[in-house]
Formats: sequence, C-alpha cells, structure tokens
Amino acid sequence: MISLHQVNKTYETPAGKFAALKDVDLEIEPGQFVGIVGKSGSGKSTLLNLVAGIDRPSAGSVAVAGTEIQSLSENKLAAWRGRNVGFVFQFFQLLPTLTAAENVMLPMDFSKSVPLRERRKRAVALLERVGVGAHADKLPATLSGGEQQRVAIARALANEPPLVLADEPTGNLDSVTATEILDLFRSMANQGTTVVIATHEADIARVIDRRIEISDGEIHPQITQMFK
Amino acid sequence: MNTIWRKAFRDFWQERARTALVVLAIALGISAFAAILSSYAILTRELDQGYLATNPASAVLRVDSADDDLIKAILENPEVSDAEPRRTISGQIKAGPVQWRNLILFVVHDYGNIRVSKLVPESGAWPPATGEILIERDAFQVAKANIGDAVIVKTANGVEQPLVISGRVHDVGQAQARMENIVYGYINLATLAQLGEEPRLNQINLLVAKNRFDEAHIKHVVSDVEALIKSRGHDVLRVDIPRPGKHPHSDLTGVMLLAMSSFGLFVLVLSGILVINLLTAMMASQVRQIGVMKAIGGTHWQIMRIYFVQALFLGIAALIVSVPLGVLGSRALCRSMAVFLNFDINSFAVPFWVYLLVALIGIAAPLIAAGYPIWRGTATPVRVALSDFGLSQTNFGASVFDRAVARIGGTFSLIALAIRNSFRRRARLVLTLLTLTAGGLFFMAALNVRSSMINTLDHVFAARKSDLTVSLARVYEVEKIQKAVSNTPGVSRAEGWFTTEASHDDLRLAIVALPPDTQLLEFDIIDGRKLTAGDTDAIVINNALAGRDPKMRVGESVTLRIDSDEKTWRIVGLAREAFSPTPIGYIPLTGPVNRLGLALENTDPDSISALRAELDRNLEQQGVRARASSTKSESRFAFDQHMLMIYVFLIVTSAIVGGVGGLGLMTTMSLNVLERRREMGVMRALGATPRLIWLMIVAEGIVIGLLSWTIAALLAWPISKAIGDFLVQVMFRSRLDFTFEPLGLVIWLLVSIGLSGLASFLPAWNASRTTVREALAYE
Repeated sequence: MISLHQVNKTYETPAGKFAALKDVDLEIEPGQFVGIVGKSGSGKSTLLNLVAGIDRPSAGSVAVAGTEIQSLSENKLAAWRGRNVGFVFQFFQLLPTLTAAENVMLPMDFSKSVPLRERRKRAVALLERVGVGAHADKLPATLSGGEQQRVAIARALANEPPLVLADEPTGNLDSVTATEILDLFRSMANQGTTVVIATHEADIARVIDRRIEISDGEIHPQITQMFK
Repeated sequence: MNTIWRKAFRDFWQERARTALVVLAIALGISAFAAILSSYAILTRELDQGYLATNPASAVLRVDSADDDLIKAILENPEVSDAEPRRTISGQIKAGPVQWRNLILFVVHDYGNIRVSKLVPESGAWPPATGEILIERDAFQVAKANIGDAVIVKTANGVEQPLVISGRVHDVGQAQARMENIVYGYINLATLAQLGEEPRLNQINLLVAKNRFDEAHIKHVVSDVEALIKSRGHDVLRVDIPRPGKHPHSDLTGVMLLAMSSFGLFVLVLSGILVINLLTAMMASQVRQIGVMKAIGGTHWQIMRIYFVQALFLGIAALIVSVPLGVLGSRALCRSMAVFLNFDINSFAVPFWVYLLVALIGIAAPLIAAGYPIWRGTATPVRVALSDFGLSQTNFGASVFDRAVARIGGTFSLIALAIRNSFRRRARLVLTLLTLTAGGLFFMAALNVRSSMINTLDHVFAARKSDLTVSLARVYEVEKIQKAVSNTPGVSRAEGWFTTEASHDDLRLAIVALPPDTQLLEFDIIDGRKLTAGDTDAIVINNALAGRDPKMRVGESVTLRIDSDEKTWRIVGLAREAFSPTPIGYIPLTGPVNRLGLALENTDPDSISALRAELDRNLEQQGVRARASSTKSESRFAFDQHMLMIYVFLIVTSAIVGGVGGLGLMTTMSLNVLERRREMGVMRALGATPRLIWLMIVAEGIVIGLLSWTIAALLAWPISKAIGDFLVQVMFRSRLDFTFEPLGLVIWLLVSIGLSGLASFLPAWNASRTTVREALAYE
C-alpha cells in the first residue's frame, strides 16, 4: 500500500537547512493499522504529509496505492488524494460555514465519485457510523471536540479511500473521547482500510497492529514493533 | 445546490457587515455609471425624436423675397416634399421702463398650417393675432415678462410698437434663450407691417422628399432649388443645411455625457480596488480552509471557483442596489439637462442595451478585481496553508522601511502606534490610499478648475474692452455714429467695426474689420503679430479658425469670399481666444461700420441701462438704427452658466469618489482591527482602557486620511490641470489658463480628517467593546 524508499525532506529556514526526514525506508501493507510514534519535531507529521502528497520529498520516492505520487502535478495530486486518501487533522479542520453533513459531502463534491443524489444519504450514513448521525445538520461551532473529530473521520471516509491518515487525531481531546476515537480507527482497520496514525498517545498499542518509532527524522526499525 | 455553492454563500453571509461596505462602494460606482449611461441613451433618443417630431427643415434658404409663386414653383420639384416661407428679423424688446433686450422675431405665414420646423403651442393664444406676439417658453426669463404683458418691440427699420404677449410656444430647434440671452418672438405678417417693416417673407424652409438623412442628397436637391430660384430672378443670399435628423445640441450633449461616463467608470475602477482589498483579506483568513480543501481532494480551480462565486455575489448584490439608484439618478440628470437644453422628455424608458451593459460591467468588475487575490490566495501549497494560524501574521520591523517608520512618533505611544500600525499592511494601505486620494484629487480639481475657468474668463473678458456693443441695422459712415456718441455722456471710448460672414471652400467664418490700432480688443497673439496701420491685406485669425484648416498658418495666404467678392489675404497673426468656438478672421477697417463698441465710465447696470436709452435716442437723431445690443456682463453670464455645469459635475463626482474612499477606509480599518484583536486583548490586559483602544484606532484612521491628503496635495496641480483641460477641450475645444485654488487644500484637509475619523469610528467602537477574554481567545 505505502512504499517509501530513501526519502529525505529538508526545509529551508531563516536559521539554515533543517532535515525533517533522513533516508527513510518504509513499507506498509494494505489493511494494517500503523501507529507512528515520536516526540514533537521528530518528523512524524512530515512523514504523513509526504504519504498524503501534501508535501513533496526532497529526495527519494513515495508510492501509495500503486502510484508514484511525487511525479503528479498539484491538481492531479489533489484529485488522487480525494479518491485514495482520507485525512484527519489534529484540530478537526471542519469548514465552519458548512454543517456536519455538508463537511462530509465536500470530498464527494470535489471528486464526483458519488452520484449527486446519493451524496447526502451517504454522508448521513457515515455520520451515523461514527456516532454523530443526530448532528448531521448542525454547524461545527455547536459540536464538542469529540463530535467534531467524529465528523472529521466521517469526512475522511467520504470517498471510501483505501488509506486513512490521521495526524495526532486525539491531541485535542480528553482521554475518554480519545479512547473512543481510537476505537473508531480500529473498527475502520478491521473493515480493511489501511490506517496510519501519527501520535504520541500513550495507550496506542491497544489498538494498532504495528508501531513505528521515529526520532530526529529517522525511523528506528529496531524498536518497531508488531502487535498483531 | 452542492456544498461548494453553499460554502460560497455562507462565507459571504458570515462577513456581511464588511461585505455590505464593499457592495455599497461597488454600487456607488455602478449607479454613477448606470445613471450617466442611461441619461446618454434617453437624452440622445429624446432630443432627436423631439426634434424630428417638428419635421425640421432639410435646408433653410435666405432669399430676397419668397412669394407664393416661388413656393409653388419649388414644390413642383418632385425631390421637394415641402417648402414654407418665413422671415427671421432681429430687433429689440422692452418689458418695463428701462432695458431693451435683444430679440429675434420669426414671422410665420400661416400658423394654422405649419408643416416644416413646427412650433408647439403651450399656452395662451394660437395663432397670435395682429398686434400680438408669442414668446418662446425659455425666453420669458430673458424678457422678464408674462403672458398678457404689454411690451415695446422695435426692429432695425421699423418703429417702436407696443404689442401684447398673448401666448407661449416651444421651438425645439432653437438654442436656449437663457444661454444666448435673447428673446425669441413669433408674429404674423400683419404685425410685421405694424412694426414698420415690409410685410414680405424672405426665408424658405425646405423639406426634401426622400433620403432626409442623406446630407449629400440634400445638398444636391438644394442646389437644384437654388438654380430654380435664381432662374426666376431672385437672389439666394444664404443657404444653411443643418445636420440631418440631429438636434443641434445632440452631439454636444452626447459628448458631454460620454465624458461623464468615463468618470463613472473611474469610480467603478476605484470600487474594484475595494474588492481587491476585501478579497485579499478574506483569502488570508481562509488559508487554512483552503489547505484543508486541497487535502481532501479539491483542485486549485475547484477552490478558486468558490471565491469567484463570492465575487459574483458581490457584483449581483451591488447590481440589485445600484440599478434602481442609477435609474433614479438618470431621471434627475435627464430632467435637469432637459431644462438646460429646453426640450421635453416624453419617455424615460431605458433601452435594454443599457441594462445589459450595466449588468455585464457590474458583474465583470468585481470578478476581474477578485482575479489576482483569489489566484494568489488559492495557490498556497497545501502544507504551508495547513500550518497557517488564522489570519496571516506580518513581520513588522524586518525591512529598512519598517525600521524608518519605527522611528516616527517619538515617545508619545498613541501617535507612534497610530503611525506604525498604518504601515503594517502596506499593500492594503496603498489600495486604501488610492481611493481616498482620488476623492481628494477630484474635489481639489473641482475647485481648481472653477478658479481656472473664472481666471480664463477674466482674461477673455479683460481683453474685450467694450462694456457695451451695439449692432446696427445696416452699415453707416463712422462720422454719423461719432456724432451720436459724442452727444452721449458716460462714454470713455467708442469704435466702429464692421462684421460680416465669409467663406473659404466649405468653411464659413466670421470677419471682423476693426481699426488696426483698436483699443477695444487686446489680442493674445501666440504666433506672428497683430494688425498694424498700413496693413491692407493682412488678416489675424483666431485659434478656432486655425484648428479648422491646417493650411491656415501664419505666413500663408487665404482666399476668402465675402458676399460675391473674392480676395486673398496674408495671415500675419494667430490669436488665442479661449472659449470661442467660432472661427474668426480680423482685418483692417477700411469703410463703413455696422457695429459699435463702447468703453463706459460707469459700468453698473443702472448706468448702462440709462446710457443705452440715451445712445439709442442720439443714434436715431442721426438716422442710425440699432438692431441689438449687449453688455459685457450679459455675455459673461452665458459663459458662467456653462462653467457652473462643469463645476457642479466635478463636485458631485468628488462626493461619490470620496464616498467610495470613505467606505474603503472603513473596510480597511475593520480588517485591521480584526487582525489585531488578540494584540488589543494583550494591551487591555496590560492596562489600556477601552477609550485608549478607541483613540488608537481612530488615530490610525486619521493618519491614513492625512497620508491621502498629502499625496492628493502633491498631485492636485497636474491632475486638476489635466481634468480641466480635458473637460474644456471636449465642450469648447479650448484650454484653460490654469490657476491653483489653495482653499481646496484646506477644505480637503478638514474633510480628510473628518471622513477618516468617521470611517474609523465604528471599527474602533467595536474593538473597544470586546472583552479581554474574547480578544485573547481570538484566533
């Protein structure tokens, strides 16, 4: 599903060059639930961004779902992302002027993968799946953090992507809600979706199949664990 | 409606207060443009239609006499649809004890059967009986009389005769009586006889049968008619062929309105600048949302479309407000122009093409203005967009300019903050300054152009030393006139001139023969020299004549036909005559005169009236008949009326442009306040009172206002000159003697401070009312 080969990412900053990722090699099989664990600034968000095509490697190759994504143009990348990747952000990032259902419908409108008449029905079904079906027509400002994150997960599933990426999805939630959210990701993985989650959550091991440790831009294979 | 459209609409609605300001600004621009364009369409239609409804003559022939036999013979020509005899005779009219006014009398053969160049009776008698006179409706103000009043009328050859004003008519084809300061009167042949004139008609109003809008065809038919008239032993003294199908003022009105339209478009461009400001700020606040949309599959074009839809909403909202405003504005403008040009508007219907053009421009303008901010705002890379924290941050202090600004304001923190805060968003500041400065420039241009016009007219009239000009009924020897003048006290200098018309190829010009050493006209020679004693075939031409024929240059010769005589003249000088569109050539006086110019000792109206009456009597005693007279102040009045129109137009434009500028500043201040909300929360936490916050923001607004005033003050001179020259060139084919009005600087300074304070008031008030907690929590 995901294949990174000798991937490097370097940023130019006022203080000089910063190597966010160094010679990263990584393979993730379809259907795996992978947790990428590391401290702040370790490169886990950068890794996720490269897999999603949100950022481009300075060197190396990134292939996702059979596509070498670094060779795609911005527009083709966006279209590819809409169909193949669901992204969940730490701060939910719901569009404030769209209702919960409309936020879930937005990726369908971009990719046109679902017929127009089916979109709302599918959106409501997804919201029910994540437990917030009753809030379909509410604006994000009226929802709690946990509810908003559930909506964001439903949005990530809008186009039935084979891959879901989540960057610190529980970072802004209380522990009880965080547990519920992680359980949701687990259920997605159980249904065959490849889930990669960047986190520093302590009890992530409970839900993931594989743990990848990253620090200072390098993956440490010797401390990568398989749980299942 | 899919979610993209919903987001576009709801984002638009969420910022409705700020959006409303921009919509209002765009609406101002569209309204102005729509009002002027509608007026152009209505006026040019109504002017021409009203004119055509009178069945205007294709040509007017002045002959020695036009009797029934001659008319009958002309009508036998199948190319001629109609021919009506009339007479036009000049004279004077007096209502009341003192002042004679210039009069043009139209003598109509049969009022019951006018078929060509029709008159429209409005009230009172129709037709006028013998001993009665009808007055053109616009001329009542000049005559200072009413229906039923008794007036005294005299013509060049006749006697003073009392007549009664018995009715009012509307003569569409005549110039405005008020502007010309002349009375138009309408009488029958019997009344003409009562006035002591020979009761004959000498003018033929001719209407061609076909191709009435084909000037070449008309000339051809007229040529045949001329030949016929001459073959019957009559003289053709003059032929006038007006522009077919067009009211005499149609072109000038159209040009004036099109010039005004360009200013309306300029206002629209300024409001486009506000759109750029608003959308740039909106895009900045949406950066993270744009990143999210790209992350979940939105392409660049799909995301741009959302914001273009918002720009489209701006245009549509502005159109909804501005179209009715524009229609109302055009009605007001049309009504005032109709009064000014003395014609009636039968329909205010605005043609469909005007609505279409206004709609296209109203929608296109915000879309075009939004293009760059939207393209730029949506081009941010996904990763960068996602890591943006709310409204984009600025790094004030990094550049040399920032550090220079940081030194301004001294130790007084309020002033320092106001100045430095103004420069934090330089692109936004520049755009705001553009609109505010434009308002100032137009206002100062209005005052400068007015001063310049007054200055130019002062120069023009200073060069004319005659306080009173008397046109004589025919030519007289100078000695007769000199005796009459010497018997009239109060005259400091008098000169006799001779005026006539001449032609050069197809060009018709006025000829003024005067003493080469004239003391009553100061030539503004711009090339060559003026006339001198000893000149015999020298001619000085004015700029209007030089402009008509490129061969008319100092040093060249020109052959002129005066009556039936041809003579070649040497052009020795070119004189500038501002605001004089009439081509004129000045030659040395060698014979009798038909015009008298007088410089007077006392120029107050009462003294002039008394002197006029005395001079009339003295001239009569010498057997000299005056046809008309006018004073310098009467001539000046007509010019002043035209200038007033330009001045009012510029003031109204400056009010609109200033309004757009004020709205722009209000938008800018509200955006500035929004971006610095958290900062103000910090200031409040450190001890700043709400009043201080309010003062700080208002001070920032005033700093921006003062900056705009400074730029406007620096540019006022060249811009005012350019605007003044443009308008005067369009209307009068002339240029101004430019003069700068310093009062404009002072007034606009006060207006700038007031407008910027007012524009900042509401954003400042809102900022001062936000609680510390809300401000600190703002992201």
